[in-house]
Amino acid sequence: MAPTPTPTPVEIFESGDAALRVVASSPDSEANWSTVHSLAGWLEAAGADGVHGAVPTYDSLLVEFDPGVTSARQVRAFVLLGLRQLDFIGAPARTPREFSVPVVYGGEYGPDLERVAEHEQLSVEEIIELHTAKSYVIRCLGAPAGSPMMDGPDFPLPVPRLKDPRLSVPAGAVAVAGRQAVIAPAVAPGGWCVIGQTPLTVLDATSEPLVPYVPGDILRFRQIQPEEFASYAGRKMEAAR
Amino acid sequence: MTGSLIIQQPGHSVVTDLGRFRGPRFGLPVNGALDQFSARAANILTANEENAPLLEVTALDFRMRATTDILIAVTGAPLTLTVGGRECPQWEPVSVRAGETVALRQITGGLRAYVAVHGSVEAPILLGSCAPDTVIGFGLRLSQGTELKTSRSVGPIRQPYFDLPLFRLGLSRPEFSSHAVIDVTDGPDVDEFGDTAELLFNTEYTVSARSNHIGLRLGGALPERQSTAEVLSRGVPVGAIEVPSREELLVLHRGRGVTAGYPVLAVVTSRSLDVLAQARPGHTITFRKTTVPEATAKYRAALRDLENLRSTVGTVFSLLGIGNQPGWPKLAPAAGS
Repeated sequence: MAPTPTPTPVEIFESGDAALRVVASSPDSEANWSTVHSLAGWLEAAGADGVHGAVPTYDSLLVEFDPGVTSARQVRAFVLLGLRQLDFIGAPARTPREFSVPVVYGGEYGPDLERVAEHEQLSVEEIIELHTAKSYVIRCLGAPAGSPMMDGPDFPLPVPRLKDPRLSVPAGAVAVAGRQAVIAPAVAPGGWCVIGQTPLTVLDATSEPLVPYVPGDILRFRQIQPEEFASYAGRKMEAAR
Repeated sequence: MTGSLIIQQPGHSVVTDLGRFRGPRFGLPVNGALDQFSARAANILTANEENAPLLEVTALDFRMRATTDILIAVTGAPLTLTVGGRECPQWEPVSVRAGETVALRQITGGLRAYVAVHGSVEAPILLGSCAPDTVIGFGLRLSQGTELKTSRSVGPIRQPYFDLPLFRLGLSRPEFSSHAVIDVTDGPDVDEFGDTAELLFNTEYTVSARSNHIGLRLGGALPERQSTAEVLSRGVPVGAIEVPSREELLVLHRGRGVTAGYPVLAVVTSRSLDVLAQARPGHTITFRKTTVPEATAKYRAALRDLENLRSTVGTVFSLLGIGNQPGWPKLAPAAGS
């Protein structure tokens, strides 16, 4: 996250008696993303009484607090203080880690691969090539359970969601929708198009942190064959460097 | 003396606490007791930390047997509580003798009851909380034969005169009714609904059977979003009211996915979320607009009631010689000792 050269304009909205929504509203989406994630880091490090934590996504940040200990008014002042300090000192520099994720594409592992290829008017091979070509920045952790939300592969068209969402998508499912890409860390219902599956364990509920990546880290996909899937069983997703 | 609780009839019950407050930053919902006031009260009535693990029993009858003498309190939805066949009051500490069965029957008027045990019960912890998370499959859901370890035994306390109720601790209990008035504040995206936002306050909604700990689905006249612009995923608060489909209003509760892409029309206050936790399918709801400062004041008033209860319980229990004063075991040893 590079220091923001000029302060990013920010709006703060009430979101009930126990949360505030902070929205970075510059025309530069990269600067907005950097601002809300730096602010989340600052709030966490500052650790104000009664502030439970912050959930940053693309251009917005949800700050949750205990209204018995603090108040929307106090947290708003605290957020403004954080923004001024970030303007002054700049966002902390952090070297992103890189993850290489093996994926079996298509077949039972990626039931929607052909549908996506058809929609994009590309061959299955071309879809795989585009999906493995890109270095993805993990933008935020989403639902369910810390999913790495990434700006999607360079497909010609946005990918429509499934008309009938699946009741259960396996852990490790590699999916696309709209212009976004994701890996499902846990079994959950889902409406995204599943094009493959990684054999790696993404979410480990017995360890902290639960998922190995943080927003800002880099992720690449590489194709493996179905017969290799089993040889990865039980391996956890780990940073290459 | 340690002992255990043996679950005889689980119904739909879990071990939970006030929630996983560090979860949302990792994409995990806060979860925890849906009726926070009742859960806090149950723990206070048994001289536990407010956030101690306790049992949440939803809708169905429940029975368990204690292997040692224990002290419990049952709060939440009105029900018939019996201990060893004797009918006992809710919202009061109750003695249970070794071998006796505790039964919660006919949960009516509300949906969720809480059972706290003096000394609490053991449960696995993730990110500082034992609250079950159905998405990642974490937590202790009770089934027949589950054995819960308890850490403290309390000898039987019986009122010597005619078995009159032992305690009258004077907490004003929440009201339970088939029609609830729910306080909300304007959501951050209320403007996107234009004039239709007013429908929220002029409509009687009915709780759908598809409601759960993730969210309540309500049938009735629906405000409609005026724009169709794509919304980037963003964090949504517990209590957010959304209109994701043309069929139902969705009110997110403590099991909600942390991020979503729907505009937030309004947000239910922390106090009213406790009321919604007790709404049964078929119950009706009307919404009333309030402000954040008013909602905060009401929430703090409820916390003060609970604090008063804690101090009364502390006094009574120390006179009876039950357990330790809350807080004592946490004191650091004196310097040089």
